[in-house]
Amino acid sequence: MANRRVVSMVFFLIAAAVIARAGEKNAPPSQKIRKGAKVFVAPIAQGFDSFLKDAIAKKKVPVEITTNRDQADYEITGTAETQKASTAKILIMGNWHSREEASITLSNIKSGEVVWAYSVHQEASTHGKRSSAESCAKHLKDAIEGQ
Amino acid sequence: MQNVAPKSLFLAALILSVATYPQSARSQETTSAQDQSKPASETKPASNEPAKEVAPDLKQASSDEGKLATVNNAKIPSYSKVYVAPMIGGFENYIIAGLRNKKVPLTVVMDRSKAEYEISGVSESEKAGWAKMLFIGVQNSNEEASIKIAHLKTGAVIFGYSVHKTNSMRGRQSAGEACAKHIKQIVIE
Repeated sequence: MANRRVVSMVFFLIAAAVIARAGEKNAPPSQKIRKGAKVFVAPIAQGFDSFLKDAIAKKKVPVEITTNRDQADYEITGTAETQKASTAKILIMGNWHSREEASITLSNIKSGEVVWAYSVHQEASTHGKRSSAESCAKHLKDAIEGQ
Repeated sequence: MQNVAPKSLFLAALILSVATYPQSARSQETTSAQDQSKPASETKPASNEPAKEVAPDLKQASSDEGKLATVNNAKIPSYSKVYVAPMIGGFENYIIAGLRNKKVPLTVVMDRSKAEYEISGVSESEKAGWAKMLFIGVQNSNEEASIKIAHLKTGAVIFGYSVHKTNSMRGRQSAGEACAKHIKQIVIE
């Protein structure tokens, strides 16, 4: 009789542990970005990281930029592409602004999870890379302050 | 008047050749890019085995934008950890941004060893040329992308999707969001 109780208890505990683990596995990640967190901006193609750092400062995004990845809580990686207006675009379309594309990802360095991502496309960017970087910074600020 | 006809014929032939050449060249480039992205074992299919044996459960499904292929009843549990492998031109960033924009309930991780699934693929962007601007009056690019999702433990490909957008309004962003939208369909919420 005692053996049966022990066996049923063990079975129950194992079942509870399995259910708890399954629930834990599929739990949604914490998407919050702490205000004042240290952010490292990894090098991005065509020097877009410099524009992004300037834009983060200009738009007063509540994060601290650090140049040392080991000290950072989050890392920004991404890609950017600029296409200057061709002669055809200027003559035929009457548009001399560049075409800008950028996509950035903010990931938590400790957990390795992506907490925020954004992509921007501007067919005729007035201020080139500066515009797309400021767009990224603006949306990052909204993501931090709006949570 | 006699000289005008041959001249106009020559001009028409020249325009036709210019218009048709890039299409054939492009299709060759696309296939070669796909071949390069695959490992050597994948690029050389075994001559004895038929092609369909590679992924026997993959089924084609109709889609409004591109071609979709899914394994029978293949679903990804919500908040599964997904790794997006680097792609040509940094397209993985656009996919990650698309997953967030389309609110796909998946957890994207930067470390492949922590992931359960892997998204890999190829993409290509073709900018509008002078002819397109002159004759069609459009300056938007053409976008092509193809992705697949593989279960890392078993190695099975559970989902495949390819998108082609002519005159993409938002370039690679549109292609990335199209991929994300279709990934959402196989995620159990």
